[in-house]
Amino acid sequence: MPGLLNILRGLRKGQEKEARILVLGLDNSGKTTILKSLSDEDTENIAPTQGFNIKALSKDGFKLNVWDIGGQKAIRAYWPNYFEGTDGLVYVVDSSDEERLGECLEELTTLLGEDDLKDVPLLVFANKQDLDLALEAEEVMEHTKLNDITDRVWFIQACSAITKEGLEEGMEWLVNTISEKKES
Amino acid sequence: MKLKRFLLRYYPPGIILEYLKSNGEIETKSIDLLNLTPETDVDVLVNQILFEEPTISEARKPQLKKLIFKLIEKLESNQEQEFDEFKVLKAHILPLTNCAFNKNGDKFITGSYDRTCKVWDTITGRELLSLEGHKNVVYTMAFNVPFGDKIVTGSFDRTAKLWDSNTGDCLHTLTGHTMEIVCLAFDPNGYLLATGSMDGTAKIWDVESGQEIYTLKGHTAEIVSLQFNSDGDLVLTGSFDNTAIIWDVNTGEAIHTLSGHTAELSCTQFDFTGEYCVTGSIDQTCKLWDVGTGNCIETFRGHEDEVLDACFNSTGNKLATASGDGTARIYNVFTGSCTQILHGHTQEISKICFNPQGTKVLTASGDQTCKLWSAESGEELQTLEGHEDEIFSCAFNYEGDTIITGSKDNTCRIWKDEPSMMKARAAVEEGS
Repeated sequence: MPGLLNILRGLRKGQEKEARILVLGLDNSGKTTILKSLSDEDTENIAPTQGFNIKALSKDGFKLNVWDIGGQKAIRAYWPNYFEGTDGLVYVVDSSDEERLGECLEELTTLLGEDDLKDVPLLVFANKQDLDLALEAEEVMEHTKLNDITDRVWFIQACSAITKEGLEEGMEWLVNTISEKKES
Repeated sequence: MKLKRFLLRYYPPGIILEYLKSNGEIETKSIDLLNLTPETDVDVLVNQILFEEPTISEARKPQLKKLIFKLIEKLESNQEQEFDEFKVLKAHILPLTNCAFNKNGDKFITGSYDRTCKVWDTITGRELLSLEGHKNVVYTMAFNVPFGDKIVTGSFDRTAKLWDSNTGDCLHTLTGHTMEIVCLAFDPNGYLLATGSMDGTAKIWDVESGQEIYTLKGHTAEIVSLQFNSDGDLVLTGSFDNTAIIWDVNTGEAIHTLSGHTAELSCTQFDFTGEYCVTGSIDQTCKLWDVGTGNCIETFRGHEDEVLDACFNSTGNKLATASGDGTARIYNVFTGSCTQILHGHTQEISKICFNPQGTKVLTASGDQTCKLWSAESGEELQTLEGHEDEIFSCAFNYEGDTIITGSKDNTCRIWKDEPSMMKARAAVEEGS
């Protein structure tokens, strides 16, 4: 549903059976493609996201308000605009772009230090597994130093936004984790 | 008391009498001519006004008559007009939120996810000021109409800021809300302003000092819509708690809670007279309320999905509604009957407004276009194409010859009809 009202609805806090999911990652990591793929939309000809895309998805009785935020360097400074009220963070990595894994780690480290994202469960998508060059999830995990994370639950899932492999599994983990957290 | 002079108000049509009191003070009284049409018998009307206003002498009759003809002429302006894209403004680097004109329309303001509010020159499309200081999305903004020397911005950073609209200086930062500020308004006299927040409260502030005067407590969920009435003594708030509340500005007390909707409210508005107000809801209906009693007078049905926006025309006899069902509707406020259904958009319509003359309706849609419609026949007059993502906001200037649209595509576009376009080009050439 478009319109500014939808943005306000997305800001509502404390709604039962509703979760706000924030999808971040470097430019060209495939965030929008993942979102489109999850909602069974066409994944061809996707242009770089200048601002954001919002999709409402249903999963296991949960309404997920998924926010996909543009990842270009110039607009990363505005990522904090979208932090408040986040129930789950999805960090998307282009597994085929080994050169940028350092930058990837840097941005992730900054995110994990943000107060507004404290305790928020982290799902890392090791995306683009359909490409020959793609590193395994294990390698992505090492590059992004996930094992050093001690202040929150996290999970890494190998996936391909194009073939849809791994997407549902990842989201399943995230929704279960959020759901358990909300109940406790 | 001596009648000094007449002032004209075009939309809605009215004549303002300016009196000189014996103590030298100036007092004004407005004669609202809300029923004026090109068919009105002007001689009869003039006699009636003279009868009701003994301070107007017989000798003033010809002058009065001339003024009324001028008002009629203004009502009939902009009948045959075609809008074209005049400028694409690309200074914001993230999606736009809302936009607003000042009274005479020579400036307008836009807010954005890039945390700035920008002030633009309508004629040249030049960026005049960038108001920077908010730490999150600038979601809502307004000029202190009719004066226009101040701007207020409301942000997701939970503050509102008051700015000098000529220098761009931040005069005050209004702190106190505990969640995002998503709606605000100046009172028509320019002394007060009101903010509404996702924290479920509204606040009244003193413009001069920046101090909070009242917190309006009563809603049990987020406030998403807020306006003053024309007199500036009442505030109307609409909430996700399914109700609207009318507040007394002088005491901060709730006067009426308007309950009846069965889902969240999306919009509220007073009519010009302040006798009525309208609420729109996710429950697919709009309701008309008597402001004096707080009773629901009419429920406007017909939409097959959420009502996302609703507005009166300037005189208050028509109501236009926008819906998630992709249609807009025009209702006769007094009979409650739907006079037109506007079919044509291929996606939800999220914003709707009348032109000041009340002859046209402008709709903004998720289908990336705006459309202009005849308020009389419901006929689709024109589609404004160019935006590359959904359109979040749109507005007419006071003359009704310029439109601004704000989009998720990070641009704001100015659209002008031909005479306005020519004027703008001439002004630009002169300036260069």
